[in-house]
Order: sequence, then structure tokens, then C-alpha cells
Amino acid sequence: MNPRSLTAVSACVLSLATGGALLAQSADDKDTITVPKREFQQLLEEHRQMMQEMKALKAQIGKTATLEKSVADNDTAIEDLEKQIKETKQIAKDAAQGSTKFHLGGYGSATYTAQDNGGANGFAATFNPIFLWKINDKVFFEGEAEFELGGTETSTALEMAHISYIANDYLTVSAGKFLNPANYFVERQHMAWVNKLPDKPLAVYDGLMPETEVGFQARGAVPVGPFKIGYAAYVANAPQLKTDLSSPADLGSLEYNNFDNVGRHISTGGRVGIHLLPEFEIGYGAQYADVAPVGYGHSVKSFLQSVDASYVRDSIALKGVLNAKVQWVWSHIDRFDYDPAGGLGDGFDRAMKRNGGYAQIAYRPTHCDMAFVKNVEFVFRYDLIQQANTPVGVDERRSTVGLDYWIGPSTVVKTAYEFDHQSGANASRHNTLLIQLATGF
Amino acid sequence: MQSIERTLSNLAKVLLPVLAFGLVVGCTTPKAKAPAGKSTTAAAPQGATLWAQNCGFCHNSRSPDSLGNAQWDVVTVHMRLRANLTADDARQISAFLRSSH
Ligand code: HEC
Repeated sequence: MNPRSLTAVSACVLSLATGGALLAQSADDKDTITVPKREFQQLLEEHRQMMQEMKALKAQIGKTATLEKSVADNDTAIEDLEKQIKETKQIAKDAAQGSTKFHLGGYGSATYTAQDNGGANGFAATFNPIFLWKINDKVFFEGEAEFELGGTETSTALEMAHISYIANDYLTVSAGKFLNPANYFVERQHMAWVNKLPDKPLAVYDGLMPETEVGFQARGAVPVGPFKIGYAAYVANAPQLKTDLSSPADLGSLEYNNFDNVGRHISTGGRVGIHLLPEFEIGYGAQYADVAPVGYGHSVKSFLQSVDASYVRDSIALKGVLNAKVQWVWSHIDRFDYDPAGGLGDGFDRAMKRNGGYAQIAYRPTHCDMAFVKNVEFVFRYDLIQQANTPVGVDERRSTVGLDYWIGPSTVVKTAYEFDHQSGANASRHNTLLIQLATGF
Repeated sequence: MQSIERTLSNLAKVLLPVLAFGLVVGCTTPKAKAPAGKSTTAAAPQGATLWAQNCGFCHNSRSPDSLGNAQWDVVTVHMRLRANLTADDARQISAFLRSSH
């Protein structure tokens, strides 16, 4: 109640108190009121007391108002302080890793593999630090090292290192060693914390298309109406055709790590991807190169192709995220006579055709209320590689069921069981149990 | 060793489907929640939508709080290049990330 309304109320109270006594008088005489002295003094006394109380009340209200004001002041002060703390925190965060434009990312994994039928068994570990450096608004550097411990050996590799120049909104050019943009799984899915299963699908990884390229690349994205189209095109060292008779199974396959560019051939390739919907992308990638060995009079062409599709939907109706991916690759290498002397028998003068790929579906009930359940992801993958009609002599198909538990957005424990099926001259079937801990940072 | 292997793989064959079934059945509470909207989405509404649409497409998205502005600056360029995001989308996502922590 504010002081003015209090005065009004007390005036009413006063007039009511006196009113009753005066009413009788006013009936007799309208101008003068006669009140007995004692009563008048009593009323005067009551009036004085009321005035005092009102004064006290007024003082009290004044105090409360000051208090309210100081509480409000305090609130703004706290808000200001919070803002300042946030800003300071931000400055500290920004300053924490040196000069603002560098980021150290990467990933690591530890995998246990147990195969039946006398296959592989044991632990392996990988560590891939990634150095990202935004040199300025136009120039960006990306480098990744790979340390891999498997069996008794540690291998070290420069997975990629390339520098990019952002020419404009639609074009970036880069040079160096980069992940093969034509191969969707390799460029966007193979990292241990991204890949939902502990191992990689047949044919697309360590298979029918290179993982990395050394050369130049141009890439970018263009919105076209409601669609978004991304492209990448590159020229790079061509792969090298394997013609070494001492390893017959490898004849007619490609050595991708052709850093010296033996044969001096250039490969050209790229990928175009279209987001038909924000949650659905399809893509086509290809690479073309002459891979004729040094000194061979003719060209031997290799043509590698890939189609991919990816669908990721966060659905309330499904109570979670549905993630489906498919990729299929074809490899064609022109006819070549690998064994002109005929020492290895028939079948080494021919074109090499291989294909394979994978389809994977994963579901994670992210909208489930149970904390434990929403971190669980179910995965199923079917992958295959068909090369029975090549010196490798095996077609392989696998069905893999996986169960992942996400400890954080990029830390996961994956378990999987792989049912293997092989056919062809050199078939040897192994079912595999895999357990992996992976983290991205 | 062989027997451990066999036990493990048999265990996996039995446990995985059972666990999967148990978890699906266990998740019976149908209360679906919209993705945790931050008050700051208002500061860059388009960026927030683009972030939600793009940044969980290839991997789980990380909380905007997990990195500072300078780090997000670097990562957003990295992702723009890696994922072939349009420059405009990348700018709006960047504005959202800046505004949300
Ligand atoms: C086309 C797939 C794809 C999309 C879309 C995508 N990412 Fe990534 N992201 C990746 C891959 C692949 C890596 C791993 C990079 C590596 O290890 O070479 C990665 C890595 C990261 C990392 C780890 C640090 C780094 O830069 O390597 C962060 C953080 C990240 N992404 C955030 C984002 C954000 C934010 C967006 C949305 C703007 C996004 N990602 C969209 C594929 C994608």
C-alpha cells in the first residue's frame, strides 16, 4: 500500500469512528455539534494516537520501498556480474589455446577383435591428432597424423595435410594430401567416433577406391532453389597398377599410395552431392586415370565409381534418430596381360572388374526419457565385395549387428558381431566379435 | 584362448539381441521432447535451425558450450569445407554458435 492510499484509508477510518457519535447530534442541530468534554478529549486522544500510528506506518513503508529498490538494484548488479563472468570465461576459453585461430582435434580408439576359425585375435589402438589452423579468413590448413598399434607394430602415417584457399562463397581450392572426396565413407564417415561400427565396410575402405589423394582440389556448395549442391573435383597422382608377379593375388589391383607418381599419370575425379531434403543426400563420385606401367606402349584405363545416399531423421514419432546409409563402388581396369610368359597359368590377361558396398541402418532412441536407453544405438550393416573373378578369388558378404553406448556426443563403446560368408577359390570364412572404445576430441 | 573366444562370441550372439529387445521394450514412456531449445536460439533463429539440420547429419552434434568462439570459428570453416556447406549456411550457424554460450 502506498502512503497516499494509507492517508485516504485512515481518513475514512477516522470519519467512521467520529461519524457514529456525531450522527445523533446532527439530527438536532445542523450547524453546531455539542459533544461532552470527556468524549471530545477521548476522540482527540484517539486521533493523536492514529496520527502517530500512521506516521510509524509511513516510515515503515518508506523503509520497505528502499529495501525493494535495493533488492532490484542488487538483481541488476548480479545480472551484470553474471554477464561479466560469462564474458571473462569466454575470453579465458578463447585465450586457452594460444592465438585464437588454432584447434587441435582428432580421435583415438582401442579395439578388441576375436575371430573364429583361427582368424585374428587381439587388441589394436589408434590415435589420430588433427591440426586445424585458420590462418586468416581465406586460408585454412588441415593436417592429420595417424599412429596405429596393431600386433607388435606401430605404424605412423601422414593421413592428410593440405592448405585451402577460400576464393569466394562457391569455390575453395586446396593443395596437398587430402581425403578422397569421391569416396563418401572415407571422407565423411570413417573416423572412429563417427563410424557406428568398430570396423569399416568392405569395398569402400581399404578396397576399390583410394582413401587419399595427393594433388589439387576445388570444392564448394551452391544453393539451387530448395536444394543444396556440393561438389568436389580433383587432379592427383594416379594410382599404380600392381604387376609384380611375386604376389599373384595382388595382380590387377591398384596401389593408391603412389606418392612418387610412378608412371607420371594423373587421375581426375570428384563427387557431386545433392541434399534433396535437409535430411537426405545422394551423391555420385568417380575417378578416372591411365594406370599403364612405365614403358608400356598403350594406355590402361581405370575407372572407379561410387554412388552414395544418406538419410538421417530425428523423429518424434520414432522417438529417436534413424540413420541410414548406402554406398556402392565399382572398379574397372582395362585389359592388361600381367603374365605374358604364362608362368602363372590362365586368367592373367584380362580386364579387372570388382564391385561392392554397404547398407547400414542405425537407430538411437534419443527421445526416450530413460537416460540409459537414449544413449544406446542399434546398428545393422550388410557389406560385400565381389572379386571372385580376379586374382584375389573371393566374394565376401557380411552381416553385422552392433550395439553402441554413447558416453558423450563423441565418445562411444561399440560392440558388434559379424557373420561372415565367403565364396570363391580362396575363400576362408571368419565370424568376428569386435569391441571398441572410441573418442573424438 | 579358443574357448574364451567361443564363449565370448556365443555370449555376444545371445546377449546382443536380448539386450536390444530389453531396451526397446524398456523405453515405453512416450513423452517426446523437442530438442532442448536454448533461450539464445532467438538471437539467431535461422542459424539454430541450420545447426540442428546440418551438424547432426554425419555425427552427433556437440553442445555449443563445448568450445569457445575462437574454436568454433576454426571448426565451422573446417566443416564448411568438409561437408560442402553453403557459405551462407556456415555464416548463420557460426552466428548461432556465437550467440549460444
Ligand atoms: C558431411 C558430414 C559432416 C557434417 C554435415 C558436419 N560434420 Fe563435423 N565432422 C565431420 C567429420 C568427417 C569430422 C572428422 C574430421 C576428421 O577427423 O578429419 C568432423 C569433425 C567435427 C568436429 C571435431 C573437430 C574437427 O573440426 O575435426 C566438430 C566439433 C564438428 N565436426 C562439428 C560440426 C558442426 C558444428 C557441424 C555443422 C556446421 C558439422 N560438424 C557438420 C563430418 C561432418
